[in-house]
Amino acid sequence: MIAEETLVQELKQEESRSKAFEVLVNTYKERLYWHIRRIVLNHDDTDDVLQNTFIKVYRNIEKFKGDSKLYSWMYRIATNESLTFLKQKSKKMGVSDQELKDRMIENLQADVYFEGDEIQLKLQKALATLPDKQKLVFTMKYFQEMKYKDISEALDTSVGALKTSYHLAVKKIEAYLKEN
Amino acid sequence: MKKDKKNSFNTPEGYFDNFNDRLMDRIKKEEAGEATSLIPKSDGFAVPDGYFDEVTPTVLSKTVAKETKVIQFKPNRNFYYGVAAVAAIFILIFSFTWNSTSESITFDDLANAEIESYLENTDFEMTSYEIAEVVSLEEMELTNILGDDFEDDIIMEYLDENVEDIKELNLDDTDYE
Repeated sequence: MIAEETLVQELKQEESRSKAFEVLVNTYKERLYWHIRRIVLNHDDTDDVLQNTFIKVYRNIEKFKGDSKLYSWMYRIATNESLTFLKQKSKKMGVSDQELKDRMIENLQADVYFEGDEIQLKLQKALATLPDKQKLVFTMKYFQEMKYKDISEALDTSVGALKTSYHLAVKKIEAYLKEN
Repeated sequence: MKKDKKNSFNTPEGYFDNFNDRLMDRIKKEEAGEATSLIPKSDGFAVPDGYFDEVTPTVLSKTVAKETKVIQFKPNRNFYYGVAAVAAIFILIFSFTWNSTSESITFDDLANAEIESYLENTDFEMTSYEIAEVVSLEEMELTNILGDDFEDDIIMEYLDENVEDIKELNLDDTDYE
């Protein structure tokens, strides 16, 4: 695997940009896909947001200053793109954010690319009750098994605050699953 | 059941044999903050077969390939006919107004109407996407399109009728630094 600093340098130089960008897409497409999928839930929407994310990365690579890891920077873009996508969707449909979340879960039951059973559906319902940040921290830690340090860079939040958010999220999800 | 000779307490068969394994499992779970078994390990999402192979060329076609693509501008016969027609209309109108004493229709009125209708009704065999690629947006000024004589209320009326939500204008496009 190519070192991140080398990749960034190649991305910034015009003559090596195309090849380096292909490496970047191949390296991160799956991780970013799952990150986006857990926010927007539906495969087709995830595909749209993933493509938009890479297009934004490509257009903004000159502005990447290297203060954070390239990986966290891309996660930040993917997160913003996903949340903006949901906001635009709820506005287009003329429904509230919560109503949109409820509908997204309803649609999961008929989704051919959702293979979850009753417990997984309940988990999604539990996740929908959490504030955005808590949900993000939970899925990044629990399902994507990211380190707190990397989540901290991606979400621009301190490790301490993330740990608190994660534990709160776990407690709330457990309580929801027990009650329902 | 295994009996302790010194007291009457019993333990299940094999309890001490796998105690270490169970303890280590529990410690691992505790460390990972996943002491609970209530939350499922998988969230049940799946992807279509071959999706991850297809997405790379799709992304590259919208980024790298788009930037390096050389557009060969080859006007076909229809395009020449079109240019000739516009030129003919210009000459015709110009000669007409040159000799005409009538002031009811001005040169501007006729020329604009004819050119507009020609552009609207003629198929140049170029999609708006292709035109957008040839004509760079960065080189255009808003005033080139609007001119100076557009009244504010006409613009407001247009926006009122055609834009449902001000957010659609994407004025708040996030700038990633």
